[in-house]
Amino acid sequence: MERRVSILVLVYAFLVVLSIISLYGLSEKRVDVYVSLNILTYYVSYAIVRPTYTSRYVKALNILLFIVFAIIVSYRVYEVLST
Amino acid sequence: MNRLLVLGVNVLVVSALLVVYGFLVGESGLVGVGFSASILGGVLAVYSTIPQDPSVVALVNYSSLLLNAVTSVLEDLGLLDPQVCAIRRGDVTLLVYSETPCPLEVDPGVGFSGGSPYLAIPTSTPSTLYEATGESTSTLLERSLTALLVDEFSVCKGVRVEEEAGQYVVYITGLADVSKQFLERPLDPYTLLVLTVSSGVLAATCVRLIERRISPDGVLVVLRAEKSGAEG
Repeated sequence: MERRVSILVLVYAFLVVLSIISLYGLSEKRVDVYVSLNILTYYVSYAIVRPTYTSRYVKALNILLFIVFAIIVSYRVYEVLST
Repeated sequence: MNRLLVLGVNVLVVSALLVVYGFLVGESGLVGVGFSASILGGVLAVYSTIPQDPSVVALVNYSSLLLNAVTSVLEDLGLLDPQVCAIRRGDVTLLVYSETPCPLEVDPGVGFSGGSPYLAIPTSTPSTLYEATGESTSTLLERSLTALLVDEFSVCKGVRVEEEAGQYVVYITGLADVSKQFLERPLDPYTLLVLTVSSGVLAATCVRLIERRISPDGVLVVLRAEKSGAEG
């Protein structure tokens, strides 16, 4: 595998495990917090490592994760504004 | 199937079981952990679709062999500092290396035109060419080059095209490490791809390479479309 992709996978996996352990240790019960933090972790890892090769599936994944993140954030903002 | 895909699928299966268990025991924290892990598994599975090292190495070796053979032919013809043009023949574009610019009476392979030797390499029109929709030619060329060089081949990160005094200046930045090594050769993938795409987009009989400049940031290629071309 290309070196940068390997680094991306390692960094992302490490940060995800770290975030999951941290959130569960803080007794976080909201599912969307886990998901949104995971997506943020992915984008941070991708932005730092920037793999040379990608595929159309990776591009589709990036778009899909962004949409999911936008939906979660929009829902939370709506919740705040409606209270 | 490769190891990353197997790992990703395994993580997906385990996370799915974790989500189901979390729902059954009413522990939303576990459900969150399961969903987060499933995203990790999905990302791993998707990244398994990226070209693996052995296939990239094989492609580089194959390309080097081809380039060595063609460079040897150019040396024998005395064409190490040639005029390079893309000449359209229906659906086929001929990339012509010759002493005189844009010789139209050429056939694929090696030959003589007007007393000067040439090497003509046939290429087919890429499928990613955009059709004109009222935008400028330079914008259309930029979109087509981006679709091919960045999106499909991933040989660079950015392409910009500007039109100056009838010439098209193509800036290619963020070159992929694996294809940078070919920049020192008389044939490099960037020039060849730019010429081939330009021939299709500009719909010119002959597209001539005016200048090619390599910089630390990338490659600069200057082209000019010559509708009538020049013989021999």
